[in-house]
Amino acid sequence: MSESDGLTQRLALLAMPVKVDKTGARAISENGAPAPVAAILGEIDNTVLERCLVFDCGPVTVSIIAAGRRLRGIFSVSPQNDAAIIGQVLSREEPEALQAAHDLLLECCGGAGRVAVRSTPAEAFGQGGERGVSATGLAELWDVALDIAPKPPVEQFLSVNAAAFSSVLHVRKGEIILTEGDFEALQSIWSTQVEAFRKAHKKTIRGEEGAQLICLNGAFEDGSSVAMVLYEDDIVLVACGADSFGAMQSSWHRIFA
Amino acid sequence: MVGDELDALQGKYEGCTALAFADLSTKMILVTDSRSNLPREALDSLCAEAVLLLGGKGKPALAEKPGKMASVATSGQLRVFLRSEQEPNDVLCCICGPMMDADAFIADAQACLSVISGDD
Repeated sequence: MSESDGLTQRLALLAMPVKVDKTGARAISENGAPAPVAAILGEIDNTVLERCLVFDCGPVTVSIIAAGRRLRGIFSVSPQNDAAIIGQVLSREEPEALQAAHDLLLECCGGAGRVAVRSTPAEAFGQGGERGVSATGLAELWDVALDIAPKPPVEQFLSVNAAAFSSVLHVRKGEIILTEGDFEALQSIWSTQVEAFRKAHKKTIRGEEGAQLICLNGAFEDGSSVAMVLYEDDIVLVACGADSFGAMQSSWHRIFA
Repeated sequence: MVGDELDALQGKYEGCTALAFADLSTKMILVTDSRSNLPREALDSLCAEAVLLLGGKGKPALAEKPGKMASVATSGQLRVFLRSEQEPNDVLCCICGPMMDADAFIADAQACLSVISGDD
């Protein structure tokens, strides 16, 4: 990654709304986006002063020691794990240990639907001169794409709910930028109904603007539903089953609230 | 009686801030829960939104046919509109906070509407 790409990525990260839950943990990966290990390396890459980063990966919690944008080592895993790499300072001189660390992270976090991080004070770990390995170096060694710039909210919403959508029509600034599935019916809605609907809807809500997810269950003859996402310059129409309602609402509020 | 049903549903969901029973044919809110105390303009807006989304005169807002349920989620609110199975003009309008178990709420709201509307 070039320096300017890195800077762009970092600015994009800073511009994203931070989602912190009740425990103070910040979500860094949801439904595999970005990949959990990439997200963890991204956090290490953002850590300059020595910290203990605690990653909640579903039922497993992994604590690592990071400093100077390097992973010094894996401090602990809960529930208890007997992997010998826990507690060892990592070094480029020991490729087997690095592989073991990668395997352990994959085992603990690779399949997590959600990974959240808490930054806590550093714990005593190894010797002062043992610096560990840089996040970018690990990404290279582990063949992990460190391209973790978060997707814009609409793309996140579409990605999280992709399995629930049978067709998608994504319009930005009036231009169709993406279609998926059998989108003819959505295109017809877009070209004949959306403008009048938005005008009428704006009247009822007295000009309320901002992000909206409008769902009309059973709006197609085959019983399937239509949903419309409105966000800034984006309008997305999707066809979906009524059984995806709860999951869509929950992801909507996670992303847009 | 209707008010009691609405109050019971609202009492069950902390995130539910207002419930209103409306008639699509007259475009009027008939009863609300006793706690929400929404001003008249807000009730009128809610009813107008229900009429639009559920297709007041049989005209779908979007797609091919008016549905039995519609919702609008914003960044801080979820509004749900449910139509009665037996009395298509009977509608339950719900205003909820964002952090709700939407599926559970819909199931209970549908049951509430069935009782109010005399489906059961």
